Amino acid sequence: MDARLRRVNKEIADCKNDKSSKIQLDLVDESPFHLKGSFPGPEGTPYEGGRFEVDIRIPDSYPFQPLKMKFITKVYHPNVSSASGAICLDILKDQWSPVLTLKSTLISLQSLLCSPEPDDPQDAEVAKHYMTSRSSFEETARYWTHIYAGGPDPKAKDGGSGGGSRDEVAMAGLEKAHVDQFEALGFERGKVIDVLRRLNYRGANVTKITEDRVVEELLKP
Amino acid sequence: MSAAQAELSQEDIEVCRSMQQEEWEVLQSIYPECSSDDISRGGIKLEIPVELGDSRDAEIVDDGSLAVPGELPEDAPSRPNVHEQHLGPMFISLSTLPPLLLDIVVPPSYPLQSPPLLLNIHATHSWLSRPVASLLRQQLIDMWAQGDGVLYAWVEWIRSGDFLESVGLNDNGVIRLPHPSPARLSSLLTSHETLSAQAQFSYTSHPCAICMTSLKGYKCIRLICSHVFCRPCLHEYWGMAIREGSISSVRCPDPECVKEGVEATEEEVRRVVSEEDVRRWKRLREKRDIDRDPTIIHCPLDFCQTPVPKPRNVTDDESSGWDRLRTCHECGYSFCAYCRRTWHGPHTSCPIPFTASFILTYLAHGPGSPERLAIESRYGRANVTRLVAQYEEDKANREWLEKETTTCPNCEIKVQKSMGCNHMTCARCKTHFCYRCGTKLNASHPYAHFSTPGLLCYSKLFDHESIADQDEWQPIEGFEDL
Repeated sequence: MDARLRRVNKEIADCKNDKSSKIQLDLVDESPFHLKGSFPGPEGTPYEGGRFEVDIRIPDSYPFQPLKMKFITKVYHPNVSSASGAICLDILKDQWSPVLTLKSTLISLQSLLCSPEPDDPQDAEVAKHYMTSRSSFEETARYWTHIYAGGPDPKAKDGGSGGGSRDEVAMAGLEKAHVDQFEALGFERGKVIDVLRRLNYRGANVTKITEDRVVEELLKP
Repeated sequence: MSAAQAELSQEDIEVCRSMQQEEWEVLQSIYPECSSDDISRGGIKLEIPVELGDSRDAEIVDDGSLAVPGELPEDAPSRPNVHEQHLGPMFISLSTLPPLLLDIVVPPSYPLQSPPLLLNIHATHSWLSRPVASLLRQQLIDMWAQGDGVLYAWVEWIRSGDFLESVGLNDNGVIRLPHPSPARLSSLLTSHETLSAQAQFSYTSHPCAICMTSLKGYKCIRLICSHVFCRPCLHEYWGMAIREGSISSVRCPDPECVKEGVEATEEEVRRVVSEEDVRRWKRLREKRDIDRDPTIIHCPLDFCQTPVPKPRNVTDDESSGWDRLRTCHECGYSFCAYCRRTWHGPHTSCPIPFTASFILTYLAHGPGSPERLAIESRYGRANVTRLVAQYEEDKANREWLEKETTTCPNCEIKVQKSMGCNHMTCARCKTHFCYRCGTKLNASHPYAHFSTPGLLCYSKLFDHESIADQDEWQPIEGFEDL
């Protein structure tokens, strides 16, 4: 049996035997080189309560070349692309070492959720949101965790059931009042959300961005 | 024969013999490396290494005995070096001391009536002075209690180094050894230390974190940072990195060392990979250092390829044309830095490649046309076919490079992105640049380029279209509304 297969089998078995880390590995198809990993969102973060799935591909020259990983579950995080799930973590690139394993890499991803590095962002918009207003960012991240990762409903304690409809404004991390304000000017709601999100119309930024500037963006084709 | 022995009954002697035999078997099974001979013959030798566990400070002091000739211990140098004699105490660090050799006679009445007789205690390399050895001997004898075996206790007491305290060689945790020639003893102890560390490394098992198996030390390599990996794994990892040209991966794979960013030394690389790979690694490393300097151009002659730096003494005026002149210091070839052809003076512009011009004419006409036949007859059909193939390959290469790669704005290497975001860090010269437009980015704020509204690459950190094309990302229902 070749060394790569032996090592991967051993890693999968190790992960199965270790109940304490709550990290799970599943085969996607018959190949042991295409896996789905998942881990719980770290406690004390907006990701708490969610379960995050990661697509894992094991390259031919593993462990001498890094694992290829990306989030399957959508995550609102400065270091994860909100569109594609791509992760630009150093250990998945030039800081990779053959000593790292499926489990240790997934644990690194889990701890990346604990400690975002907005100075080295993968999603510039999310990173700006994080920098501008931490509480608003966390609210959005919690909402995404609820919608995509099966986390608790942030509004549940108010008694509201949410009604199953997705709140686009909350998804974009914006204030309903701001969206309503520009929608009232006659712009389409989707466009308003898109523009306000791109302009990072949140927190202290709201006073810095003039209405004219927003309207100017809204008028662009 | 003593009175005590005379009183011993035949029955007691049998009991003694079986107790001796039992003690000896236990001793041999626990410390097979310490014991030799067979106790039934009455005389045994125990060779007991002193293992201190952790590394301890040791001070070797001049005992002054060389000042009085005639009192030299047997093993001491017969003609002591004058320089050694006047050296002060030597300080070394030890985790082991050379073995003590105990010559023991076991009387038939041991252990019921008499202690074992200790004929001699000798320390390898004579690190134990005679007075201390006699003191130790007395203490060993005193350890015996009538009726009990004492050999195991002796071995353990010596092996663990606990006896050093009792014989006065342990001074607040520092081992203090008096010796006629401290310099000589310290070098002997140090080399013993090294040898036993090597032997211990070779015969203990080490887990290799790469293949996740455990292997004996002689199949492993301990790097300078003291991390251990098995030879086959390191060989494969570094060999592959060297063959693929990613020499920055030729380093200790331990995450701590990776974080430090320290690359392997030449000696380490030599221990791991083949001679051919070592040469390639050295060449690549030199090349990388040169490539980080964009003013260097390689000599265009195929057999030479020497890196030629930009000359300093030439006039700095770029408009004069002289700044294009390079002269290879290895083969003496003078060439133009722009077209890499023989130097054509500062004023003549670079020639359009001659072959390209007639190949273009050739290709512009259809197969079998008179123009083609003329060119074929002038240059030879096989030559033209070869040149056409070369031209088309070059063209395809150029087009591919144009389409699929972005040039590093600093060192001009062509970079192709396989995945990830558009913020690139040149693997060769570490310049930050944008993969979309090729602009050099500020290393401390590289993302400003993608996050400042109004800039060309605003919000283009990722190429979303390409991801959609690959259909790898399955958008979850409702996501498009965002």
